[in-house]
Amino acid sequence: MSEVFSFGSYYPGESLLHRLDPRTKLLGGVAFLIISLLARDFLALAAIGAFVVALYAIAGVPAGRAARSLAPLLAIVVVVSVLRLFTDHSGPMLFQLGIFSVSEGSLYSCAFTAVRMLFMMCGMSLVTMTTMTLDLTQAVERLLAPFARVGLPAHELGMMLGIALRFMPQFATELQTTYRAQVSRGARVASGPLGSVRMLSSVSIPLFASIFRHAETLSAAMDARCYHGEEGRTRMRPLRYARRDVVAAVALAALALCVVLV
Amino acid sequence: MIEIDHLRYTYDGAAWALDDVSLRIADGEFVCLLGGNGSGKSTLAKHLNALLVPDEGRVMVDGLNTADPEFVYDIRSSVGYVFQNPDDQLVATLVEDDVAFGPENLGVAPDDIAVAVRDALREVGLTDFERHETHALSGGQKQRVAIAGVLAMRPRVLVLDEASAMLDPRGRAGLMRVCRELHDAGMTIVMITHYMEEAALADRVVVLDAGKIALEGTPADVLARAAELERLNLEVPPSCRLGLALQRRGVPIAAYVDERDAVHAIERLVSGEAAQPARPDAPSQAAVAASGEPLISFDHVSFSYETSARERSRRRRKKHAKKRAAWGSDPEAVWALHNVDLTVHRGEFLGIAGHTGSGKSTLIQHMNGLVHPTMGRVSVRGSNLADKHASAQAKTLVGLVFQYPEHQLFANTVYEDVAFGPRNLGLSADEVDERVHEALAFVGLRFDEVAQKSPFALSGGQQRRCAFAGVLAMRPEVLVLDEPAAGLDPAARRDFLGLIARLHSQGLTVVMVSHSMDDLAELCDRVVVMNEGGVLMDGTPCEVFCRADELRRVGLGLPAAQRMAGALRADGLPLAADRLYTIESLADELARLAGEETR
Repeated sequence: MSEVFSFGSYYPGESLLHRLDPRTKLLGGVAFLIISLLARDFLALAAIGAFVVALYAIAGVPAGRAARSLAPLLAIVVVVSVLRLFTDHSGPMLFQLGIFSVSEGSLYSCAFTAVRMLFMMCGMSLVTMTTMTLDLTQAVERLLAPFARVGLPAHELGMMLGIALRFMPQFATELQTTYRAQVSRGARVASGPLGSVRMLSSVSIPLFASIFRHAETLSAAMDARCYHGEEGRTRMRPLRYARRDVVAAVALAALALCVVLV
Repeated sequence: MIEIDHLRYTYDGAAWALDDVSLRIADGEFVCLLGGNGSGKSTLAKHLNALLVPDEGRVMVDGLNTADPEFVYDIRSSVGYVFQNPDDQLVATLVEDDVAFGPENLGVAPDDIAVAVRDALREVGLTDFERHETHALSGGQKQRVAIAGVLAMRPRVLVLDEASAMLDPRGRAGLMRVCRELHDAGMTIVMITHYMEEAALADRVVVLDAGKIALEGTPADVLARAAELERLNLEVPPSCRLGLALQRRGVPIAAYVDERDAVHAIERLVSGEAAQPARPDAPSQAAVAASGEPLISFDHVSFSYETSARERSRRRRKKHAKKRAAWGSDPEAVWALHNVDLTVHRGEFLGIAGHTGSGKSTLIQHMNGLVHPTMGRVSVRGSNLADKHASAQAKTLVGLVFQYPEHQLFANTVYEDVAFGPRNLGLSADEVDERVHEALAFVGLRFDEVAQKSPFALSGGQQRRCAFAGVLAMRPEVLVLDEPAAGLDPAARRDFLGLIARLHSQGLTVVMVSHSMDDLAELCDRVVVMNEGGVLMDGTPCEVFCRADELRRVGLGLPAAQRMAGALRADGLPLAADRLYTIESLADELARLAGEETR
């Protein structure tokens, strides 16, 4: 299953990209998307492509793994670019079939959109491939921190996100056990609307009960370990920008210049 | 270190959960808190680190009053608390982040946190586990991470609230080892447990009953008082039971709490070199289970969570390429079950043993067609469960009770919950009613008392009975139980196992998965030992438990009586090696040998 939905799932490594500050990667990813949208012609796209290939090489992610990670999203690329094919009507008409018409311009923009989307996905999936989810939540927390002054509970959001991630696999297991237990007692999904409702409540109520039970002990356990909000709290691995983050920023700026100037 | 004076506490304002408790715990002491469910053990323990604050009286930790909000974090960092459920208390996805959580809250400098984390993990024997994900660890390892998380705050007292209750024997042994080492290094330890073998290791035992201290003293003093412990819903450790059984047979011996001491004492008393091992007239336990018609049969069953053959071979290659993890069950293991042949006969009581991850749970889920074998076939009463209809039929013939079945309760009333199964069978209202009455009576719940109550309002033991009734209401012919007594106190455990034995004697076929070798030896006709997805042993309890070395190799123990008999035999006592001893039969044998000695 994990092999199918592997878009951007973490690829362990120790490369420069892996060690980059997660905030840099998150912001860099967004900047990369904007730069890609600024590209006007294939020359600019070539620069972006070269950049992406270089990054994958630095990260040490094998091509096969990268391709497998993108495969599930190719459908979106195809749909969007085919839509472009039929909506753009610039340039000389090539052929027409009923309401569908294809022109030189539409062919061009179709290819252009497809390549651009592919690069954008490659770039974004690289962010999550080289960053652990936990670091991402910390990055989100720190990036939102300035908004804490206007009342946004940045620390609490980060903490909640982290705990939710930690409990996700556990609830998945519990849900499966409960489902199997109720199936053992003859519950069936396909036994009419009444049966389905019964089935749903017989699985969801134990899950909620379990969530409350876990939450109660978890909060006591956090209390017992002196948790009292963000105040006075330190981090074992505080996020610190290093020289490599500057290098990354410079590289992105160079790319932006390339794309805009050509 | 800790002074408790006339402590009283109530949750609801109506009844005292703790009533006038006074206790002193010295620096470096190892204290064990015992008591049945609801005796106030956890409530007392939560007062030690200010999770609860006394209603009356006073708790002082290291000279600080827990009622003073100013000292709360000083107290909590010097008294670490480990909870029962390993899944509830880990806050982070990665081991090192979880261990760092405490020091981070205390505002320790980053470099010092890293040192504390490394030290704490080393102390619990999990060096190099920093980057592991917590949910992928075994229960025992999770508990040790929880202890490390507490140790990283450098506490002086460690409170363990039934921390071993949900672990398998291997996990429990690891946890106890960590506790002993910490205690030797000077840590004060307060441990709550239901396992008397663990209590025997303490310096002092405190028994609580209905919020009051009922007994207090050294383990040797307290744990040998059989009658009183029985009244307090507790039991006597096996070595004491043997000592008491010998005393009843007129052998002058003390009841030792520590098994090794007991063995030495008995050995000094009975060194009968001349005596011959007694041959029981009839093969007492070898009375083979009446092999009735086969009900469930496994035919070369293999199961893999990886369904595609290509993926399996890829994983297999990967596994060979990588070094195998040195601990626990291998997550890269391709087969959860491998080539299992097994038959469950009508009317037998089959026990299944094996450590966590050996394939027990997967095995029993095949029995009613919840999961289907990747290769081979499972048939119930001769019909292959690969068939949809047979699989549906199997769900009524084979009742499956999961571990902690009370976690699956969902309905508004007990009645509705028990009626869920029969209604799914499409029975009429009258029939459903009849079955609910019958099932509740079976599990010893009174219909008028509980039927209209919410299942969540029942006590823990009652909830489990209720969930159990929900399966019995299906009128299964085979009852499959996964760790039915897990997490119950000794009295509830006895009751519940008695209930299962009664159902079996009424003709129900029972399959029981258990970590307790004593329960398996006592109840089962036949025992199957699983290891790494395969059947390692299959035979009568006598046949299985005489192979001590093999069992130890796969991380399993022996029933207590058998273990002591083995130790005595190793010291030269003429005890039969091919016999399954109970405490009573071992006492008989030893009394006979002692008698020959004096003659």
